[in-house]
Amino acid sequence: MTILPPVRKLTVVAKDPGLRIGGGGPMVFAQVDVPAEILAPGPTGYRIKVVDYNATERRAYADRKRYQDQSELLDPFAPAAGEALDDPAYQARVLADPNFHSQNCYAIAMRTLGLFERALGRRVSWSSGGHQLHIAPHAFALANAFYSEADRALMFGYFFDSDDKPIFTALSHDIVAHETTHAVLDGLRSRYTEPSGPDQSAFHEGLADIVAILSIFSLREVVAAGLGKSPRLPGPGEPMMLIAEDEVTADAIRDSILLGIGAEIGLADGAGRGALRQSVQIKPDREILDRPDMAEPHNRGEVIVAATMHAFVELWSGRIAQLGTFEGGTYNLASVVDEGVKAASQLLQMAIRAIDYCPPTDVDFGQFLAAMLTADRELVPDDSRFAYRATVKASFDAFGIVPPAGQCDSEGCWPRFDRTDQLTYSRSNAEVLTRDVDECFRFLWENREALRISERGYSEVVSVDPSLRVDPDGIPFRETICQYIQMAHFFGAELKGLLNIDPLPEGFTTRTSADLFGGGVVIFDQYGRVKYHIANCLDDGPRQRRRLEYLRDTGQLRGRRNDARSRFANLHLARMED
Amino acid sequence: MAPKPVTATIFAYQVGFGDCFLLRFDYDDDSARHILIDFGTMGLPKDDPTVTMKRVAEDIAEKCNGELDIVVATHRHADHISGFETKDGEGSGDIIRKLKPKRVIQPWTEAPDAPEKWEGPEGTDPAKAFAARRQSLEGMNAVAEAVVARLDRDGGFDSKWPLAPRLRFIGEDNIKNKSAVKNLMTMAGETDADKANYLYVFHGCDLDLEAILPGVKIHVLGPPTLRQTQTIKKQTPKSAEEFWLRAEAMLALDADGGPATARNSMLFPGIGPDDSFRKSRLPAEMRWVAERVDEAEAEQMLGIVTQLDKAMNNTSVILLFEAGGKKLLFPGDAQLENWMYALQSQMAKLLDDVDLYKVGHHGSLNATPKSMWNRFAKRGEPDKGDRLTSLMSTMAGKHGGKHGSPTEVPRRPLVDELKAESNLVNTQDLAKGVPFQKLVFNLR
Repeated sequence: MTILPPVRKLTVVAKDPGLRIGGGGPMVFAQVDVPAEILAPGPTGYRIKVVDYNATERRAYADRKRYQDQSELLDPFAPAAGEALDDPAYQARVLADPNFHSQNCYAIAMRTLGLFERALGRRVSWSSGGHQLHIAPHAFALANAFYSEADRALMFGYFFDSDDKPIFTALSHDIVAHETTHAVLDGLRSRYTEPSGPDQSAFHEGLADIVAILSIFSLREVVAAGLGKSPRLPGPGEPMMLIAEDEVTADAIRDSILLGIGAEIGLADGAGRGALRQSVQIKPDREILDRPDMAEPHNRGEVIVAATMHAFVELWSGRIAQLGTFEGGTYNLASVVDEGVKAASQLLQMAIRAIDYCPPTDVDFGQFLAAMLTADRELVPDDSRFAYRATVKASFDAFGIVPPAGQCDSEGCWPRFDRTDQLTYSRSNAEVLTRDVDECFRFLWENREALRISERGYSEVVSVDPSLRVDPDGIPFRETICQYIQMAHFFGAELKGLLNIDPLPEGFTTRTSADLFGGGVVIFDQYGRVKYHIANCLDDGPRQRRRLEYLRDTGQLRGRRNDARSRFANLHLARMED
Repeated sequence: MAPKPVTATIFAYQVGFGDCFLLRFDYDDDSARHILIDFGTMGLPKDDPTVTMKRVAEDIAEKCNGELDIVVATHRHADHISGFETKDGEGSGDIIRKLKPKRVIQPWTEAPDAPEKWEGPEGTDPAKAFAARRQSLEGMNAVAEAVVARLDRDGGFDSKWPLAPRLRFIGEDNIKNKSAVKNLMTMAGETDADKANYLYVFHGCDLDLEAILPGVKIHVLGPPTLRQTQTIKKQTPKSAEEFWLRAEAMLALDADGGPATARNSMLFPGIGPDDSFRKSRLPAEMRWVAERVDEAEAEQMLGIVTQLDKAMNNTSVILLFEAGGKKLLFPGDAQLENWMYALQSQMAKLLDDVDLYKVGHHGSLNATPKSMWNRFAKRGEPDKGDRLTSLMSTMAGKHGGKHGSPTEVPRRPLVDELKAESNLVNTQDLAKGVPFQKLVFNLR
């Protein structure tokens, strides 16, 4: 029997085909770690199934590669003897093979899923219920790429630039990571695709970009290339490489390809602009979210990307400034890169862990911020060393995003649940509570009054997940995160009578009906006691009114349901059509 | 002294799903002037084989005594211009051509060069902006053509896909009818001196037609110029323009049909014949998702042609004829985006006392903006004196979604409202064999 190592290496295009060594040189390729497994053709593994079917050509490309032989796991596209990753001839050969595009998607999607699983300390499911998400790397000749829950798939299109050269969205790490994040987030928070206020769908887009951008920083050689240096960083004992001070100023970092999304597509779609998105260039402005163009989800999502990236630039450049310079104002490139890797990894972890602290329905940016701060405080109670939380909070504040007023403590974090004395634990089995949805629901139902869980809606515990942490003494302990949602179909009369929405919003009568959502996250400590209850209550009249008015104004009140495929697809096409 | 118009008569022809209106002004010196507003169809009534575009053209020729004064082509869609098609001197467009219209009015988007006083977006070279815009319209036609070609091809789209007829309808409506377009550009004479006979109009442009049409003022409410559009949108949708410029390249890949080019050959020329599977020979593990990818592609195609259809509708000329205290509004298929500029402009108040409203876009929901409809003061109960007349040319079941869906045409709730608040005249209600609805307005 073969004994598998825990990880294997697979070759991918790093960042985006638009990232070129030294500006105009070869692309940056990298070999990344993915979980080791015996792959079936596709490649098809335990979480991802690549099906290279092209609807425009109405044909599928066969996968003829070998990912393992009897004794070891193989990277079929690793440079052959005498070749290197930055060899133009090697790159051209590999890029001409559709199987490489498939491998690229597989590896980046697995890596992105892995980031979430590592940050959350548990397996993350796809929302469709299946275990293997489909990926079609050359789905159609359209300049579009999207996640479709209904199809349990990520579909990547391609198009042609003005020289008839095909541009593949499947080759862009940014885009593959972005779409994979949509799928992962949909698994974690399946109700974030319901009609809500302006922030919720924007959050999907924003988080997808944050993950796409920050995840590349774990590849040190790519960070070096993004700073305009050779991706071949010196190994132990090799001479140090230097980078000039003015190449790593905050401005230089902001302009860098590292903080953009989709560089090649941005250049190729005829616009002659830079990256598809470079959100970090958005200037801080407390009123920015009120601008009419910020109603579009990608635009709006860019605001949380900008806020996060401004914090990142500040953290990274702050850490660089603490490094010593050499004569002539230069830094050790490896140290500069390492500081970026650390700052990015910490921020990415904050952003991902925050999801556990976000209400499961109708999330808004302020709640995401509070969740980020809370998640980080749980992990690193002392913020004084690098001031991650202070920096993030200030950066979001500059874009007009603040923790929900009156609902957070002085640090902007969610407060601990303070009505413990009103809760009944005696009829719950603490051990079963940490793994069983029915037991968990029993607890919530019995304590519905103290937890303000409405009796009027349909209620469901959608997940009970463990969250592992290490206490200050270095001893791991386990908390439990229970996610429940509530849904109700209320008529105007009920909005008035039950939710005190009086008078009804303009355009509503007592017979107008609307779907409402509510729900929360209950975090149980290691003793099974409620530590946090983070909720958007179903019966929160003012909140429901704001949501309904927004949906009315944007024509979504009678939105069609079951339109799952076009949900994300239209978002992307809309960018080109608006 | 110039003669005065005494009556306005509209002949709304039965052309199935399309528009064709002959507007006649009778004068106090017993003379008459004739304006043909659109002449196109996307589907003639199936139960009446006597309805042909040629017969309609012949009837128009007879009514105007062999002489048309003005032709208006509101926008380039087939259901508005297909009748102008020529065919070796035998087409319906040839008959119209012989009526030698003195002027042809079209939206500025159809002009060969940027019209006088037309303005491009702030800070751009107007000639360049104009050329780009024109090219993007050509791009839209090309996309429509590519989509229909694909539908025509064996196995081009999954034949079971229920939305295929809709895709075909919109695709075909948006294909450039070359002979009709050319006819419209040449029917008022081809000498240099005749160039002035072709009027390419935009919001607020001055149309002085007193010599041809005495006593009738024609206001142009739309389409807005690029500069005007810019003022209502905070940010110019540059990306939209760019998309259509490049759309052909993004869509034209067609593996099996047409001559081989870099684009339509296989995407990966290097792979061997045994390294790919045709759709009909897919291995089992690929089939479920392949079906879905096919559907996703087709759905996006539909999304794209729906967008381009809307963009083309929004090039519609919006004309308001004012004579003897009566106002007749012909907005083509203008949708909200086109109307928006007019509705916030000084000209909006002209709408307050409209007497006749030609219902936009055959009664689809999105071409009768509330903010426009609400301005019409002559709406009201059936016993209201001077009540608004609305005129609709349509054929149910031809276009749009199923009955009751938001995309059905004509849209039932709109029809109900038109009926409740105005005298609705609908070509759809014409009995078999009756070629037109006739409406007379007294201008004395």
